Amino acid sequence: MSQTQTRWAVGILGTLGVATVIVLHWMVFFWVPTESTMGIVQRIFYIHVPAWWVAFLGFGLVGLCSAVYLWLGDERLDRAAVTGAEAGMVFTTIGLLTGPLWGRVAWGTWWAWEPRLTLALLLWFIYLGYFLVRRSTVNPEQGKRLAAVVGVIGVLDIPLIHVSVTWLRSLHPEAVILNAEAPMSLDGSMGATIGVGLLAFTFLFASLFLARYTVAGYEYQLTLRDAASGGTQGVGV
Amino acid sequence: MRSYLALVWAVARKDFLVEFRTHERLTSMGAFVVLIGVLFNFAIDTAVVRPQALAAALIWLTIIFAGMLGMGRTFRLEEQDGALTGILQSPIPLDALYLGKVLGNFILLSVTVLLVFGVFTMFFSLRFSGNPAMLFGVVTLGVFGFVSLTTLFSAMATRSSMGESLLPVLIFPLLVPVVVFGTTATDRLFAGRPVAEVSGNLRILGAFAIVFTIAGAWLFRFVIEE
Repeated sequence: MSQTQTRWAVGILGTLGVATVIVLHWMVFFWVPTESTMGIVQRIFYIHVPAWWVAFLGFGLVGLCSAVYLWLGDERLDRAAVTGAEAGMVFTTIGLLTGPLWGRVAWGTWWAWEPRLTLALLLWFIYLGYFLVRRSTVNPEQGKRLAAVVGVIGVLDIPLIHVSVTWLRSLHPEAVILNAEAPMSLDGSMGATIGVGLLAFTFLFASLFLARYTVAGYEYQLTLRDAASGGTQGVGV
Repeated sequence: MRSYLALVWAVARKDFLVEFRTHERLTSMGAFVVLIGVLFNFAIDTAVVRPQALAAALIWLTIIFAGMLGMGRTFRLEEQDGALTGILQSPIPLDALYLGKVLGNFILLSVTVLLVFGVFTMFFSLRFSGNPAMLFGVVTLGVFGFVSLTTLFSAMATRSSMGESLLPVLIFPLLVPVVVFGTTATDRLFAGRPVAEVSGNLRILGAFAIVFTIAGAWLFRFVIEE
């Protein structure tokens, strides 16, 4: 894609994202009926669930792109991986902030060792490690390789961590008063709101992804130019 | 195949010989284990909490912390003398180097684990009424999985300016399966529960060890090359 095309694509996707987020908020606050058992706090789910969907999309990209990057050594895959990790981190943070807000009302506590919540926290830390490693080497190329290794190991470990935290819950059933997804039978308007939420966050994710990916490309070119002119090292992404 | 195993063994043997002569890592891990046992004794009010109820948790966390202490130094010696460059230039395949390091670390940590069980049983008068073979299996697989992951990240620490301070952030979230399935199995075995209750734990610990040994053997080359 040329520079203009990329700008247009980012602009269109971003506008669509922001517009659907506004529509989503209108639907959440004024349109969708209040859920009968959980009450008004259930509305947080229309933000929470889509945030998780794109967070997992981001982390899936990290694992896939990291593995293929190590295999083929293509710079673009590394850029896609770091972009996915950054976006994943942002949306995981949204998920981690909205979850306890809901939990405070529904469970009566800010934090419960509910499997999904625990997994989310661990995921957040795994990808914190990804960024730490990336920036901790003198040679930026090596930092990229190390981060990719963390990305691959992280993705391999996620199913095992998931099994662990879910299995632990069966030992402590009292930790979960409400299952996060199962008890909600979605009525039509609720389904529509979730649908708009998913769409909105996917648009946002796509525009952020594309914008960040392009910037990562510029940063890489800058590094190359600096290296060629014998100057100092550029920004390590 | 035989020559490959000989290479793996050569690396493990070299580490073992160095350790045998310097006692560097075993001394620090051993002292850590005894001293942490002493500290636990002061930190836990045995009038309120029965140590037996906490045994599995204390044992596994001590193994992990002691392991981090020792395993974090896996490549320290090579790094200091520039010996790593020599090893990397030798014709040994990098996965054999990794597996050799894992084997060396595993033997080293196994010795420490024996000490952990000895010290904690003595300090806290723990009673074990389960199946010893099963406990052996749980600990062996758990420790092997831990070592395979830590060895890889220890190589990463040598290549990073953050060094060993990087290890806890990277390893602790990934170690959750070992902690969950290792402690619950040990807990049940200490309580003398039937073997069938821990066979699932054993399978997951085995899966963890296999997955990360294979992944580590593949990924190691990307970590260690400059």
